[in-house]
Amino acid sequence: MKMPDLAATDSAIKLIRWLVVPGQAVKRGQPVLVIETDKATMEVESIATGLLKEVRALPEDFVGVGQVIAVLELADSASGPIPSPATTPSALTREPPPSQSGGLFARNRAAAAQRALARQPVVLSPIQRTVGKRMQSSKQTIPHFYLQTSASAEPMIVRRQAAAPKPLAWDAFFVRAVSKALKKFERMCCRFEGDELVVSESDTVGVAADIPDGLYVIAIAAASSKTPEQISDEIRAAVQRLEAGDLEARAARPPDITITNLGASKVESFAAIINPPEAAILAIGKIAPAAVVQEGQVVVQNRVSLTLSVDHRIVNGRYAADFLSAIVSEVEAF
Amino acid sequence: MVGMSSDRLAGYEKDFLLSLYERMVLIREFEERVKFLFLEGAMPGTIHQCQGQEATAVGVCAALNADDWITSPFRGHGHALAKGLTVQELLDELFGARAGCCKGKGGSMHVGNLDKGMVPGIAIVAGAIPLAAGMALAFKMQKRAQVVACFFGDGAVAEGAFHEAINMAALWKLPAIFVCENNLYGASTHISKVMKNTRVSDRATAYGCRGETVDGNDVLAVYEATRHAAADCRGANGPVLLELLTYRRTGHSRRDPCGYQPKDEQESWFSRDPLDRFAAALRQSGAVASTELDQVKARTEAQINESVEKAKRAPPPPVADLLTDIFS
Repeated sequence: MKMPDLAATDSAIKLIRWLVVPGQAVKRGQPVLVIETDKATMEVESIATGLLKEVRALPEDFVGVGQVIAVLELADSASGPIPSPATTPSALTREPPPSQSGGLFARNRAAAAQRALARQPVVLSPIQRTVGKRMQSSKQTIPHFYLQTSASAEPMIVRRQAAAPKPLAWDAFFVRAVSKALKKFERMCCRFEGDELVVSESDTVGVAADIPDGLYVIAIAAASSKTPEQISDEIRAAVQRLEAGDLEARAARPPDITITNLGASKVESFAAIINPPEAAILAIGKIAPAAVVQEGQVVVQNRVSLTLSVDHRIVNGRYAADFLSAIVSEVEAF
Repeated sequence: MVGMSSDRLAGYEKDFLLSLYERMVLIREFEERVKFLFLEGAMPGTIHQCQGQEATAVGVCAALNADDWITSPFRGHGHALAKGLTVQELLDELFGARAGCCKGKGGSMHVGNLDKGMVPGIAIVAGAIPLAAGMALAFKMQKRAQVVACFFGDGAVAEGAFHEAINMAALWKLPAIFVCENNLYGASTHISKVMKNTRVSDRATAYGCRGETVDGNDVLAVYEATRHAAADCRGANGPVLLELLTYRRTGHSRRDPCGYQPKDEQESWFSRDPLDRFAAALRQSGAVASTELDQVKARTEAQINESVEKAKRAPPPPVADLLTDIFS
């Protein structure tokens, strides 16, 4: 079986993963592998019914059109009976199963080591190439300005503890707070369509999800009418689907605004690049205790840094500042 | 499955019903085979397929006379087979062989045969609509009783050429049937994202001609609507804008994974598959035995197998033909 000509442009075709393993029976038309081009991630169907004898390309490999990627033993030429398909294909993921380590996989690993020694340039994945192009275009063409503030994280901490033993995703709070604030600041939902500014009616907040395969945005719809628990469940389910390579989850669904959270690292605050065509992006830092003055007294309070990057073509400073203040009020109202 | 009532079959000759079925099976099997030939790398270029839309092509063409014409866009395999082009001349064309219906120089997006009343496919969206109006003008001026059925998708409706051509055709009462195969998507964009009024046939009122929306997955409904439209055209009451509601069971092209069709939408349309529905109605009516339907399928497969083998061995156009059939 050869790699079909599935790239609409001259993009390289990257093998993402096999959906079947050698030794398994396959049917003509059955999706057997997932590939990625610069335009889309898609499943490739088997061209014949038979037994998958071996695979000749591995996840992460860039494969040329017409290159042999698998060897099939056709059903009508098979000597013995074809075993029925395994109920759960233990998909060939990045790490080869131990039983295969002596064969092609070992050769491939050796080749990878050799490539490293030869200091070959790193090949960008198609998705990273796309992310890079979009970010470069955003940073170069959108006049960003940045507003930085912080909010008390105490109410969120209390609310999160109340939800124990199942801790909520922190992002759930911020998604809800941003969604509620957006209701009062319609212009933050505006986007350019050509020269015209139109109000998006999608009522969704995006959460940047940096999984090993690439950077994706999880879209949470109508978050202002959902509880943090519901939003948290939705985010976690979406991350799982993204990591499992669910093509539908990976399809782009442009939200009104995106939030990006590096709080799990030791980042206090940062400024993010707007995800076009949105008007703003909210960057969330780490929650940490800080000394604050309350009614003349210095007290210790957990706080979180919030930095809003805004498109100056769409809104001016005062409006964006009022929007960020509204987010702070919502964050402190849990 | 959302069925068709078997009562609907009353009044039709059995042979006619079977011929409709056979033609639809032929299109489905042809497209499936071509899909695998593409995946195997045996066939060059990309392809735009019509699995799920068989009833529109077959219903329309069955209602036309042999000397009537059709035009087609880039998704033309089904139209060609419905208009009577052979599997062999199509496969030869797809393989770039000299024996192909366009001498191997057109490929998948430009199939057609002037001797059989099909203008080679015009791949520019809406490109064939003014052309069909021009053909209809010729029929009228030459006082011929012919009509032209012009196939296009819902995406073409947003083109200026659609408006301009139908406006003129209506003004001059031309014998043209404008057949919009509304499969809900212009490539990957849902119709609701590009038009406020998604009922395409409503536009006929604005041009002053008749418009009709028909279940495009019901081959008999399409056939009857086209007969009616053709009679209108021949009676100098044309043109007619026929909107056939249908659904593509495959991506826009082979390189399109079709991830934008929501699962529930797919399921609801797949339950109204034109082939499954018609086969069920034929069985239910008692007029046709299941074995006869199976024979149709077997016969079709054998025919395609034979043609594929021939097409694979068919020679390409010779170098001497390089500069013939070229216009610039």
